[in-house]
Amino acid sequence: MRIEMSEDLDENITSLFQRILPFLSSLILLLLSYVPLDFSLLNNIRPSVGIVCVYFWMLHRPDLFNLWSVYFLGMIDDIISASPFGSNIMSMLLMYILLNNTSRFFNAKPFIVTWYGFAALALVTMLSRWLVVSVYYGQFLPLAIMMFSYLVTVASYPLLSLLLAYIQNHLIQDEE
Amino acid sequence: MKRRRSLFIHLSHIRLLAQKFALVILFLSAFVLMLVNKTDTFLIEKTSSAAMDVVSPAIDVLVIPAKAIAKVYDYFQDLRKIHEDNIRLREENKRLNRLFDRARALEIENKLLSDLLNFVVPPEAGYITARVVAEEGDAFSHSIIAYTGDSSVKKGQVALSDKGVIGRVDRVGSVYARIILISDINSKIPVMVEKTRVRGILSGDNTTLPKMVFIPLEAEINVGDRIVTSGVAGIFPSGLPIGRVVSVNKNEIRVKPFSSLEQLEYVKLVDYGLSGVIEDEAPLRDAH
Repeated sequence: MRIEMSEDLDENITSLFQRILPFLSSLILLLLSYVPLDFSLLNNIRPSVGIVCVYFWMLHRPDLFNLWSVYFLGMIDDIISASPFGSNIMSMLLMYILLNNTSRFFNAKPFIVTWYGFAALALVTMLSRWLVVSVYYGQFLPLAIMMFSYLVTVASYPLLSLLLAYIQNHLIQDEE
Repeated sequence: MKRRRSLFIHLSHIRLLAQKFALVILFLSAFVLMLVNKTDTFLIEKTSSAAMDVVSPAIDVLVIPAKAIAKVYDYFQDLRKIHEDNIRLREENKRLNRLFDRARALEIENKLLSDLLNFVVPPEAGYITARVVAEEGDAFSHSIIAYTGDSSVKKGQVALSDKGVIGRVDRVGSVYARIILISDINSKIPVMVEKTRVRGILSGDNTTLPKMVFIPLEAEINVGDRIVTSGVAGIFPSGLPIGRVVSVNKNEIRVKPFSSLEQLEYVKLVDYGLSGVIEDEAPLRDAH
């Protein structure tokens, strides 16, 4: 009896862990993107890890990555960043809305199609954020730097999605 | 059976509607947060500082493995440069020794003249050295988060690297502080050209080269001029090195900071005892 209960508890904990894994993995990647490194190569321009994670998990496991996950991920990004509070939440929610309406075009398609899809949606998301923050400050932010940041984000998508796909395939089991 | 099916359809409609409603509410809340942030109320600042204290330790933990990987790369890079560095450092050492002798002579001279003029020496500045735990530098903001420990860091304190000013303390938590870099769009520092004493404001715009604005029309500024703080407004003391003019165009003058803003490992947070126009707030820990 006791062994059965313990097995149930183990199963419940494993199941809970698997349910929060998409959010947890996104959070760790997001925090890693702020770690100071001595590479002057990129001049501190790093990929927007948040929108990569939102795109990946919404496309592959929308059942484990809901609206609240998107909101909290954006909020944590806003806490660390010095950009106007709420701007990261907005851009991630925008990615959520865009993907909700277009996921049928990218779902279960070859990787290259999902990558193109990400490139298109990320452009809309990042340009919208650029516009909103520019209005906030009352002056245009450097578009060239934003575009470079966009290219870095798109270029990093294969690597990040490989990592997230590993988590999805090896650590998250489908419910029977 | 039919009734149960229609009930199911009805419930799924309600769920869909609720989800859409939640989406609109969350989107609006993000918008409201931005508006409230614009007014820069004390509440938002305090909440944000407290949240920063919660999130920053998580990055602090991740710094260790990430740094270890970066260090291996650096080690092999450094090996190649050791010989060149050695020659350069020997030359520099000779030059610095000469400068040291000269500085000592000037110090004695300065003391004698100060005594003659009855000059009141300003109080010495207190400082702490803080480790950088997070950094960002994209089109939207340029800032770092540094671990300050239990020290009494205050908003508005000057942040220096070994080469000069890098920014000012913007938010203070109980053990972490956010520093706005001089290249950030929110950074405005009163500066002057060291040689000609022409004054202006160094304004960040989220590019790597901040620009100098509000300069007198007749002022002559050349590429290579050193820019230092002017001390106007009482936030920064005068004479702190900032950077060098790298381009002079009709509309703008760009300054390259002496410090490499994207490679900061430790920063010095200095308290010159100047409150200036920034309200002197008690740090969060005082509230506890």
